[in-house]
Amino acid sequence: MTGGAGAILGSILQVGHFVGLILAAVAVLEAYLYVHFFRYGRKWFLPAVILGAGAACFASLMLAPLQLDAGRAASAAVCAAMLEAAIALFFKYVIRGRWALPYMMLAPGIVGLTLLIIYPLLFEVYLSFHDLKLTTILHWSRTGELPFVGFKHFVKVFMSSPLSEVGFWQLVLRTLWWTFVNVLFHVSGGFALALLLHHKLKLKGLYRTLLIVPWAMPQVVAVLAMRGEFHSQYGFINVAVERLVSWMPLLASLGLQPVQWLTQHPFLTCCIINIWLGIPFMMVVILGGLQSISQHYYDAAAIDGASAFQQFRMITLPLIKPVLAPAVTLGTVWTFNNINVIYLVTGQAGGTEDADILVSALYKAAFTYYRYSYSAAFAIVIFLILFAFSMAWLKWTRGTESVYERD
Amino acid sequence: MENANTARALASSSARGQRAENGRAGEEYQKALKAHHLKRKAWLVLIHAALIAWVLVSVYPLLRIFSVSLRPGDRIVSTDLSLIPAGASFLSYWKVLYETNFLFWLWNSLIITCATATIGVSLAALAGYAFSRFKFPGHKTGLTLLLGNEMIPAAMLLLPLFLMIMKLGLVNTYLGMIIAYSVTSLPFSIWILKGYYDTIPKSLEEAALVDGTTRFGAFLRIILPLSTPALAIAFLFNFTQAWNEYLVARVVLTDARMYTWTLGLFELQGQYLTQWGMFAAASILVTLPVLGVFLYSSKWLISGLTLGGVKG
Repeated sequence: MTGGAGAILGSILQVGHFVGLILAAVAVLEAYLYVHFFRYGRKWFLPAVILGAGAACFASLMLAPLQLDAGRAASAAVCAAMLEAAIALFFKYVIRGRWALPYMMLAPGIVGLTLLIIYPLLFEVYLSFHDLKLTTILHWSRTGELPFVGFKHFVKVFMSSPLSEVGFWQLVLRTLWWTFVNVLFHVSGGFALALLLHHKLKLKGLYRTLLIVPWAMPQVVAVLAMRGEFHSQYGFINVAVERLVSWMPLLASLGLQPVQWLTQHPFLTCCIINIWLGIPFMMVVILGGLQSISQHYYDAAAIDGASAFQQFRMITLPLIKPVLAPAVTLGTVWTFNNINVIYLVTGQAGGTEDADILVSALYKAAFTYYRYSYSAAFAIVIFLILFAFSMAWLKWTRGTESVYERD
Repeated sequence: MENANTARALASSSARGQRAENGRAGEEYQKALKAHHLKRKAWLVLIHAALIAWVLVSVYPLLRIFSVSLRPGDRIVSTDLSLIPAGASFLSYWKVLYETNFLFWLWNSLIITCATATIGVSLAALAGYAFSRFKFPGHKTGLTLLLGNEMIPAAMLLLPLFLMIMKLGLVNTYLGMIIAYSVTSLPFSIWILKGYYDTIPKSLEEAALVDGTTRFGAFLRIILPLSTPALAIAFLFNFTQAWNEYLVARVVLTDARMYTWTLGLFELQGQYLTQWGMFAAASILVTLPVLGVFLYSSKWLISGLTLGGVKG
């Protein structure tokens, strides 16, 4: 047990050290911004920040771990000083200390997002035009150099396949079908449950709690548990079917028999599991929307003699739209990008490709087949497809309007 | 729906009750009321039946995992469907705790997740306030970009992030994982917190400014303490995202001692027939606390998630 305690202490120290480094970096960043926002009027401002930037760049390049030679470090320092001069002039004559607080509060977040989202995206674009694969990765990690190959990988994306059996266009179609089926059932199932729950019921709270269990469970556990239920021999579904058949042999002659879910119908299995997982979220969002609709509308409509269906169409649907539209937009994007279910159900070694959609094929291309540059190009193509669809969808529904118009 | 029926029935029958004073109309009124109650009861039974059916579908896999985790060692694999198996024992729990690296996995997940959530919430608390209270150049663009960030497939960012982590020599370290996780939920957290700050009246800070604090002082002493619920939601959101994450961890962590619990669980599940009981026990151990926290806080969590839409 002492080994365990040592490991625990070690890991705490390691993470504490890291958090300390981050705090120090944030402090430096804020000090830099403070000088630029509040001391831009001083006589020493321009010379001090320009010299400071040059010196800091020079020192950091000369020190470990980079240890460049003095000539290269000096030329880099001059570049840094010139960049800093431009920034300082901008702060001195354009910004003039305005919006100091919002920008200083945003700065750490912006730096984090830039380093961990924007820079990786640019790096991905760089990768897609160069050739990084298992044979070149060692050379790259030592020297940072890669051969330029132009659009070769983009051509390959459309002409060949990321996987061994399923082609690119087949993946596109399957992804669209996957997204459509899942979102359709999420919304209709969620709507049905929300309408049921919206009545005055005993045990309403209990139902609501139990109904969100699939969403509340850790997704890995939920998917693996459901996967177990689809096992051909021991899973609940096949066991239940077998018992039904042995109890009523007539059903067998009607075609009811156990099915090899995971090997013969992997896509259907993934759809069922994902629908089961996604309904609670939609239910909760729609229920929240229903509760915000005033009862007076329904009472007035009832006195005017509107039928239940008319009330649903003329009151519920239009009033729920501002809640539903962003949820559907988000749900569509989430479903399109959902690897978890498909990977956890079919991703083991030797797993089938019959359930793969674009993103899971991307994951496999990168981390099962190690085709790095190819999958970078593939990722960019996927992103463009998603972007085009989202723009079309937003134009059609103005889906996020209500979200935007709150500032 | 049946609220509408109630309203209609009451409206028509009370009008009738006023119109006629003789006993026949009263009788008719009673009859209509009785029929209405009967119809309502039938509706309620149907609704309860439908809800119970779907509750069973929702909860069944969890119950079944629980029943598998209780199975005795020689009957882990069976077609038995009963909830408490014959000869139930806690052997699987014992085995998963003492014969696997399960506790290491839990600890790894915990420390990575806590660090990630702390960093994420701190950054989001600051940025959310800037978006909520100030009109600066780039305000609207920034908010749009944050929403647009949802569109980037996780698998797309994973490759460059993995290569960066590899080049920095951070494979198989906590730091690599924290770096990979730290900003993934940042955009969403900023939206949640911005939405909450929007509901706090500006007059509070103005009063504080009159009393002589700085703007940032007002944020620290007044807005932050008032936003504890939203901060808790954002923390929880960050926490669950990182806690349940699988795909990034699989790429960054290769050493079995460094695994997070999701990786460990997948490995236990991989050898389906031999370790199914241990997998089930580990799942139950991990799921119960998460489920408890989630269900307890679901009301606030959900209001945070849907804030943007509901207030529209």
